[in-house]
This record gives sequence, C-alpha cells and structure tokens, in this order.
Amino acid sequence: MSTGTPSGAAQRLRRGARRWPRTLGLALLLVVAVILGTGLGSVTIAPGDVLGALWRGVSGQELAGSDVIVWSIRLPRVVMGVLVGAALSMCGASFQGVFRNPLADPYLLGVASGSALGATVAIVLDWPRAAIPVAALVCALGAVALTLILAREGRRFPPTRLILSGVVVGSVLSAASTALILRGQDRARLVLAYTLGDLGFSGWRDVLTVLPYVALGGAALLLLARALDTLQLGDLTARSLGVPVERLRLLVVVAASVATAGAVAYVGIIGFVGLIVPHIARLAFGAGHRTLLLTSAVLGGAGLVLADLLARTTALSQVGIVTTLLGGPFFLYLLRRQRE
Amino acid sequence: MKILTLTTTLALAGTAAAATYPLTLTDDLNRKVTVKAEPMRIISMVPSTSETLCALNVCDRLVGVDAYSDFPAQLSKVPKMGDLYTPNIEAMVAAKPDLVLVSKYGKVSESLAQAGITVFALNPETYDEVFSKLLTLGKLVNREAAAKALVTTMARDIAKTEVLTRAAVTKPTAYFEIDPTPYSIGPKSFMGVLLTKAGARNIIPESMGDFPKVDPEFIVKANPQLMLGLDAKTAAARPGWANLSAVKAGRVISLPAELSSSLSRPGPRLPAALRSLARLIHPELFR
Repeated sequence: MSTGTPSGAAQRLRRGARRWPRTLGLALLLVVAVILGTGLGSVTIAPGDVLGALWRGVSGQELAGSDVIVWSIRLPRVVMGVLVGAALSMCGASFQGVFRNPLADPYLLGVASGSALGATVAIVLDWPRAAIPVAALVCALGAVALTLILAREGRRFPPTRLILSGVVVGSVLSAASTALILRGQDRARLVLAYTLGDLGFSGWRDVLTVLPYVALGGAALLLLARALDTLQLGDLTARSLGVPVERLRLLVVVAASVATAGAVAYVGIIGFVGLIVPHIARLAFGAGHRTLLLTSAVLGGAGLVLADLLARTTALSQVGIVTTLLGGPFFLYLLRRQRE
Repeated sequence: MKILTLTTTLALAGTAAAATYPLTLTDDLNRKVTVKAEPMRIISMVPSTSETLCALNVCDRLVGVDAYSDFPAQLSKVPKMGDLYTPNIEAMVAAKPDLVLVSKYGKVSESLAQAGITVFALNPETYDEVFSKLLTLGKLVNREAAAKALVTTMARDIAKTEVLTRAAVTKPTAYFEIDPTPYSIGPKSFMGVLLTKAGARNIIPESMGDFPKVDPEFIVKANPQLMLGLDAKTAAARPGWANLSAVKAGRVISLPAELSSSLSRPGPRLPAALRSLARLIHPELFR
C-alpha cells in the first residue's frame, strides 16, 4: 500500500503512460462498434446520413425515412447493447473476483433464472411492456435473496455453498418457468426469444428504464474494486488486512445482481458475455479490479454491439445465439486450460 | 356457403368408387405407409387435418384429436390427446386407433410406430400442398371423390374472391405479423399466397423465406400502407413505428381470433378466411 508516497505516485504515472495506447485502442473499439452498429443492418445507411440523422435527432428536427431507422431503432438498440454488455461483463469480473472462481458468471446465483421467471409470468399473463422489467427485477432479487438465505452459515457465506445454492435455486426457478411456458403455448415464442436474448425492439424508453440499474450497480462495483483486489489474497489474509470479507461478498453480490437484473429486464438472457469478456480483459489489461472492471465494461459493450450486428445481418437472428455460439467454445478452451 | 359445400361433397361422395385396401402411400416423413383396411378409428394430431376429416364427413371416426383441434364444434366431444410436442401416448394407444395422423414435426410417430400403430405424417405448407395433401387424406380414408369435390369447391370459392380483388383500384403494401417477436409470412407460403389473393402487396420478398423473423428496421424502410395481425396501440408503441404510413392512417388491423385461426390452418376454411381477409383489406369491394 504505497499509494500516498511519491515513489508510488511516480510508479503509477509510468504505468499509466505504458497503458495509454491500449486505453486509446479500447476507446476506439467502442467508437467503431457504435458507428458500425448504427450504420449497418438490413438497410445500409451511409456514414454521412447517419451523422445527419443524429444531428436532426439531437436538434429536435422532424425525422423521416432512414432518420427514423438510425435515431429510433438502431441507436437505442446499440446503446442498449453497450449498457447490457458492460453490465454483464462487469458483473462477471466481480463474481469471478469475489468467488475466486474463473468460471463464475453474472448468472451464478440464480439472477438469470429469477428474472426469466418474472419475465415469463409477465409475458404469459400479457402484462404491459413496462411491467416486464419490474417483474424480472423483483424475481431476480428474490432469487438471489433465496440463494443467500440457503447458503448462509451463521454470519458467513462460504463460496461453495453460495454456488451450490445458486445452481439449485436456478434449476428450480427454470423448471417453474418452463411449466408456465408450456401452459401459455401461444406466447411460447415470445418467452423463447427472451430466454435466448434479443435486443430487437429496444427503444429509448427501455434504455432509460435499464440505465439506473446498470449505473447504480456498476458504480457500486467500482467502489468495491480495491477491496476485491485484497480478497484475491484469500479470505484469511484479507480479513487480517481489515477487509470485512463477508460484508464485502454480500455487497458485491447485491450490486452485481441489481446491474444484471436491469440488464436482462428487456433483452433477456444473453449468455457467455459475462463469463468470457473478463478473461479477455484480464489477459490484455491486467488483473487489478478497477482496471479490470472498466476495461471489461468497454470490451463487453463493444463486443455485444458487434455480436448484435452479426445477429441482425445473418440468419443467426438473435444476439444471444451469437454470443453462445462464440462463447461456448471459448468456455471449453478455458476449462481445458485450467485443467492443464 | 358451408352448407352448400357440404351437400355437394355428400352428393359426390355417394357416387365414389371404393378405394382398394391395403393401400400404400408415401407420407411427409418420406416413409411408405400401408393402411390395411379402411380406417374407422382415427386420431388426428393436427387441427387442419381434423377439420378436413370433418369436411369429408368422417368426423364420427375420430376417437382422439390434439388439444388445438377446436373446429368444427363437434370436435369438442372428442377426447383430447395432448399435442405434437407433448402427446399423451398412453391415451392414444388405449383408444385403439387404426390410423394416427401427425405432422412431420413433433415426436409422436416413432413411439406409436413401435406400439404397432399405423402413423401417417401429413402437413401442407405451401399453397399447392393444401390441395394435394387434402386429396391424399381423402384417399387414405376412402373419401377420394368427396376430397376432389371439396378441392373443386374451395378453388371455386377462392376464385370468386380473387375476381373481386382483381378489380381493386389500389393494392396496399402490407406487413402481416404472425408473431410479435416479430415473424411474418413470405409470398410463397400458403398464407402469403392468400395475402396476395386478398388484394395486398406483401412487403416481404421471396428471398427471406416462408415464415421469416423480420428485422424491425426492414419494416420501417418498407413503410407499409397496411399492417395486419397486431393492434394499433402495439404498433405505435414500437420504437420508430409511430410515423409509419399504416400507423398514421389508422390502417393497423388486428385479426379477429376466428379469422386468425382459420387463416393459419391449411384446411377447408381457407376460402372463407380469404374472403374475410379481402373484406378487411378492401371493404369497398364488399358493399
């Protein structure tokens, strides 16, 4: 802990200088992803027209023709992709840190199956669109609460018990969703699209609904980043360094669950982003959690926008299918590498 | 019209020569299936097949139908045996059928075939198949002449509507939504053919397939003058759709439940469904 000393500051400055090109590259990647995501699609729009449409939208002029596609359909879809990709990747990085398990993902404690159950109830019962994320969020947090209650051992939350409880809660809730889907046959495809992850029909209002959850959860995780670093030394060492390990674990789980629940509220369950992106970020930018969370967020946002672009311009059709097709093999690679 | 169809069918059925059994036909799973004798105890797991059997006047031979077979009304008395994906195999075997009609989808045929029950897969998908498969079904249940008569009546009724819509001064470009995720219909699907016959121009090109998932921005670009299969409120609430021609002009029409079910079933109600659809698109022609 040499943060306050001059030599520490100089060291950080030097390290910062070395990271400059990579940080720039990362920012560029996000910009390129947003531009490609906004310009390309089933209808191709020239870059000049994209900029014109953006300007007309910002300055409140009337939108017509391809302006509508850029401003009302693609841009909110792209922004939603950035938000969701960033949220899932940050949560994945935090979960991998807090459980010291490289294969942990944001859905580990039943968040995904909880929110899927909530969304399924809302969809099958034909509730208004605005109620879907609320139902998803309530059930997601309920699922995490249930997992925590089941995993609790006195005042402690041992990681293995947390993960096992999460798996069981997840399975039970998934079964409940499936039973509901089978009862509400005519809406089955709507629910299926949700469980496969789909960014289609994301509008500005949806973006604004999701934003606070992602921002709140993400900011909390960033504040906890230094403590997460200390936790990598092991529970005992962390405790002796004054880190309240159990409370930290609880805080990270709650913050990540809020962000994840917001992320999956409208677009459904997009697999593997939260699992894979943190690994890439760790390899490219190092394992310190503040950097890791930020780089994961940018990489995840850019990655999901590009995956969605691939989905809507090919027969793969849904972004969740793309991430699973790309992420699955990568996951198996990680698994093999870990065994060796 | 329905009564007329039925009487014509019956009159012709009386003069039909009996089919010779055992009868071997190729089904939609590409299997050669032999029916030993005229089937008298039939289970139908496809709603349009159940409907067609009733139109061929062998409704009373049905000892079981799938959960979605709800037309005509007399089917409500026939025991329900699940659906193609969650079939109640035990109930089906217990009903001792001599013929079970399924589609090429689902997982019914294998387990039933193992139980020694004759299973025939039959599901029309294109417009032409609606008629050719109807004739096959007629052959299977020894109602070949009735099937031919039904096909003739259907073709005639469809032509009547087509003559009307051909006179339409303008044909609106149309988007037909069959599922809100959203899925639409291609011009080659039987529903797409009906949409064209009803006097509309489908915005979906043939290259996108028969029942494609559509990118919302494609619909914005096409800016259809008419939308069918969803309600005005839903359409207006979708990002960027509020200013589309159809939405602004109030030409977003959600189909009545009965029409949407008869239109999606490739069976004997298609001519009536076409007529209702044409009436929705061109009310001026039906005054």
